[in-house]
Amino acid sequence: MTIYLFKRFGLAAVVVMAVLLLLFSMLHMIPGNPAILALGTRATPEAIAEYSARMHLDEPVLKQFVYFLGSAVQGDLGEDVFSNRPVTAIIAERMGFSLALICTGMGWAVLLGVPLGCLAAVRPGSWLDRITGVFSVGTIAVPSFLVSIWALLLFSIQLRWLPAIGAGEPGNFADQLSHLVLPAFAIGLGWVGYLARMVRASMLEVMGEPYIRSARAFGLKPRRIVLGYALRVAILPTITLIGMGFGGLISSAVFAEIIFARPGIGKMIFDAVSDRNFPIVQGGVLVATGFYILVVLISDLLIAWLDPRVRSSL
Amino acid sequence: MKDLANNTLLNIEGLTLDFLTNRGRVKALRDIAFPVRKGRILGIVGESGSGKSTVLWSILGLLAGNAQVTAGRVDYGDKNLLTLNAEGLRALRGEEISVVFQDPMTSQIPVLPYAQQMSDILYRRSMSEADKRKAAVDMLRRVGIPDPESRVDAYPHEFSGGMRQRAGIAMSMLTGPNLLLADEPTTALDVTMEAQMIDLMRGLRDDFETTIVVVSHNLGLIAEMCDDVVVMYAGEVVETGEVHDIFHNARHPYTRALLECDPARITDVSRKLPVIPGDIPDLTASLSGCIFASRCQKALPACSTTAPPLVERGTGIARCHLLEGPLADPSWPPPAEVSTVMRDTGKTLEASVKDAKPLLEVRDLNVQFRTMGAMKSRLRGVERPFVDAVLDVSLDIRPSETLALVGESGSGKTTLGRTILNLQDAAGGSVRFEGNDIRNMSERRFKPLRRDLAMMFQDPVGSLSPRKSVRALITEPLLIHGAEGRNLDFEAERLADMVRLPRGFLSRYPHELSGGQARRVGVARALALNPRLIVADEPTAGLDVSVQGEILNLMADLQEEHGLSYLIITHNLPVVRHIADRIAIMYLGRIVEEGPAAEVFARPAHPYTRALVEGVPQPDPDRRRQNTGTIKGEVPSLLRRPKGCDFATRCPLARDACREAKPEHRQIAPDHRHACLFPLRYADQQIT
Repeated sequence: MTIYLFKRFGLAAVVVMAVLLLLFSMLHMIPGNPAILALGTRATPEAIAEYSARMHLDEPVLKQFVYFLGSAVQGDLGEDVFSNRPVTAIIAERMGFSLALICTGMGWAVLLGVPLGCLAAVRPGSWLDRITGVFSVGTIAVPSFLVSIWALLLFSIQLRWLPAIGAGEPGNFADQLSHLVLPAFAIGLGWVGYLARMVRASMLEVMGEPYIRSARAFGLKPRRIVLGYALRVAILPTITLIGMGFGGLISSAVFAEIIFARPGIGKMIFDAVSDRNFPIVQGGVLVATGFYILVVLISDLLIAWLDPRVRSSL
Repeated sequence: MKDLANNTLLNIEGLTLDFLTNRGRVKALRDIAFPVRKGRILGIVGESGSGKSTVLWSILGLLAGNAQVTAGRVDYGDKNLLTLNAEGLRALRGEEISVVFQDPMTSQIPVLPYAQQMSDILYRRSMSEADKRKAAVDMLRRVGIPDPESRVDAYPHEFSGGMRQRAGIAMSMLTGPNLLLADEPTTALDVTMEAQMIDLMRGLRDDFETTIVVVSHNLGLIAEMCDDVVVMYAGEVVETGEVHDIFHNARHPYTRALLECDPARITDVSRKLPVIPGDIPDLTASLSGCIFASRCQKALPACSTTAPPLVERGTGIARCHLLEGPLADPSWPPPAEVSTVMRDTGKTLEASVKDAKPLLEVRDLNVQFRTMGAMKSRLRGVERPFVDAVLDVSLDIRPSETLALVGESGSGKTTLGRTILNLQDAAGGSVRFEGNDIRNMSERRFKPLRRDLAMMFQDPVGSLSPRKSVRALITEPLLIHGAEGRNLDFEAERLADMVRLPRGFLSRYPHELSGGQARRVGVARALALNPRLIVADEPTAGLDVSVQGEILNLMADLQEEHGLSYLIITHNLPVVRHIADRIAIMYLGRIVEEGPAAEVFARPAHPYTRALVEGVPQPDPDRRRQNTGTIKGEVPSLLRRPKGCDFATRCPLARDACREAKPEHRQIAPDHRHACLFPLRYADQQIT
């Protein structure tokens, strides 16, 4: 188990490095001198040279990368080009909004999608199964940014039920919650359908297994068979899917944050890319990648916890 | 039949059932009727497609969704189980009627420990969790699980096959049911385990006064275990009776034929096995007359048009025209010695192969499997992070010779076969084919040799691509090795003829084939390139008794015609007795005994060989073993290979010396060797 975790963290470090290296090279291919962007077009050549030397901009890309990694390990992700505030502080400020959005989005998708798939599988061919089938395909097919715009138009502008932009008054939980509803609905909707389909398919497979017949032959209650036996096995592949789904949600959240003007990580990276605010982009991508790797690791550990066969092979 | 009233626990009457499939209505059961007598063990015996398991599931109301009961009743006490509502059935299941399943590997949920699974079964009892746990531990102890207090928390995958089936039996006996249904309870187990399970179930019947219904295709198991027998064929009961009557005085031609096909009953070792020609009739068609008429050696023209009479006799019934009515034949049934089945009288092969130069020579072959990664083993300081799946194996196979490699699961026999065919890398030793070392050869250099060395895979249907026609499948090897302008249609027909597969089958797909036909396709594929040696992995696994003779006879014929050599890998001793020239017995990756087939059977030197030979239940209730437990326990894990003789942990004759060092191979005759410090001796044997 410890060796397994050791391996996984090693692998995670390699992935983070590769992503950052790729990002670094790409940022430096974008036209525009970061020093000029930071100091303004009227900056003197001396000021630019001084700034470039301070930010190591005059050194080879690979060296810059090493500097960045060196300080990142110490918890220093550089400074915002414009405000000179530490990047870590800015990310910490915005991380909460993104986390709330992504977790709420996936949360409601799981709470609705898994029971839907489960019920559809228990009675295949019933009206509920058919409706779930149509609903799944429909919600998977519509991109989340379209759902965001439609939801915004309908619930905020036409019906005026929910606020349109921002993340709500700091400290006012109810207000923040009301600002969370629409974007979380938008990014989670496709996942409801996706999870319902997945759970339905794996439940149908498990319900045909001999050990389910055994449970029925021992006269167990149907409820116990579905929830305690079948779902317990059928949920395992879904957990992997949910873990990987967080990666997709990070990008869906970018759209939602732009459309609803939520001050999250996604919007931050988007703005920083347009402003050539490289330290923010680098810091943001590092955090997003790390978050994704962490979620996948958690989902794998969760499966190991639920499935003794996996546990004993770790 | 007569005194139904008091001693009948369950009575099936006129049970008729169809499966609605896209091929139409399959008339799976027709007018099934028999009583189950209290406190007895009833066996339902039949081949695949006989509907024996369907009868079992209809008792529990657990039929597949497309099943439709059209007539009949299943009376249990004052209830008709076929019309009982779902709640009523659920109240009986697990409490009064319980089941032992065929495959303990798939019938127990992998993610719950036994303690949980067993306390779930007791959910209707108002017992505390601690009491439920105690009941589970007690029952696990009763079925022979060592250290049940801690093993009750184990998960199924932590148990070996035999232990799982013991736990499965414990689960079904937990509530003390009146009726225990056992569906092929030993089919997934090794021979040495089978004997232990039969013992266990008979013991439980005596202790708990449980009535048992056991469904099996295994005549030995039925003879050894049952009091009453029901013989089924193609969805009908053809004969019932007490076990002695069925095995010594069978009156239905099918029962007679089935018994005579069992290789364990055939004492004279000829190379030809009896068969029941033909296939089970198509149950979607309209059926008339006797269902067995199309395959019956005694059939008269009227048999296929007029339904046979139901004849009551001593202890049961039989449905046959020969017994009663206008077609009655006073000479039927003939005495037991007179054969009633088809028997090829091909000449037996002369034992002239003895002195020929070996085609294949295996010397000190070792195969190892890694048990943990390089980093893990270094961190933990494990010196040998691998197990020996094959350990110092030496074998010869001569031209036109059949060597049978026999062992239980986990003995390494399949690994050895794969290594010989260069499908698995070896760690040491040599494999010589016609004098050239072929071990660990690169696939590019080995490819020409694949023409000479062919493989017949274990799963006849699973090893065929479902998307290819039989024609494409049997010519595939030719294409891989360059057809060189050969006429593939001609080749396909030539191969189909060779394996006696009707040419019309060439355009069929694997799912349209029966087990025996799929096996023939496998033989044709192996033969396509005119090989010298065929490695056949369990060639008769999954085949019915009446069909396995056909495949073995075909293999023997092909050997005669083409001078083939066979390496047959199997756990089925009775079968190899008829086809093998020599037998090598494997245990934990080592050959423990090797010698001429007849000699190994008659005078096994190694106690393990004797246990295997005696472990096969005899299809004769008069030869029931009083104490089947000659050897106990199971094959140990390769991870815990004993220090001394590998078999010492289970050997009834083991002494201290056996636990000290691995015995060397010793020659007791020019062609017979063993690895035992204290071999068994026989009165008529010269001690050398």
